[in-house]
Amino acid sequence: MSAFTKYVRTALEQAGREAQLDRSSRIESQHVLLAMSAQLDTPAARILLLAGLDHRALQEAFERERAQSLRAAGVSLEGFDLPQHEAIGAAGGVAPVTDLGTSVRTALERGVSGVRRNPRPEHLLLGILQAEHGTVPRALALAGIDRGELLLRVQQTLLKSAA
Amino acid sequence: MPAVEISGAREPADRLAAAVALRRLADQLEDAAVEEAMRAGWSWPEVAEALGVTRQAVHKKHAQRLIAAGVTLRRR
Repeated sequence: MSAFTKYVRTALEQAGREAQLDRSSRIESQHVLLAMSAQLDTPAARILLLAGLDHRALQEAFERERAQSLRAAGVSLEGFDLPQHEAIGAAGGVAPVTDLGTSVRTALERGVSGVRRNPRPEHLLLGILQAEHGTVPRALALAGIDRGELLLRVQQTLLKSAA
Repeated sequence: MPAVEISGAREPADRLAAAVALRRLADQLEDAAVEEAMRAGWSWPEVAEALGVTRQAVHKKHAQRLIAAGVTLRRR
């Protein structure tokens, strides 16, 4: 198994846990982004960190986006009585999320599918960040992140590693 | 016009995001409510009727998760 394949497998496993914690039935690109930020010894995580996007910051950004989107429909999560159920949060005996949502498939197609030689984690990051609509770009915007600048940094990193 | 007023949303992007967030919330609410009901002794047919879906549909969607959570499920 190539290093990249191993990386993607690990990232998707971790993303599956993020999706589970997020009570999502599918792994979406936001979960993959969270997972990537947690794999600290990678250029992808370093790029995110440089932009102030460590795991915690990303989580907060996604929470903000969610709250804002719900508010737009007149729904506030404040005091919302969603009972804590043990299917989520238990340390063991819980089925992890494995289904890939469309956003992840798209990110993989965009970022990775076209790469003929030496795909890297940064390609996956590129695929995720290239989405112009949806949860990830909205959350980044709310966090005051210039997505264009972030994309540029990823592309520069890729060029350097190809040189 | 739908009863839910998307008042704060000025743009299609905001309204689309609101739809996505509401859909997710509805899923989470359903998951929690089904678990609550099953723990309280509801049957699959009762839960299905409350949700307006077939017993098979609700079983397919929820059984695995509930089993993993250790909920004792009634056979029928």
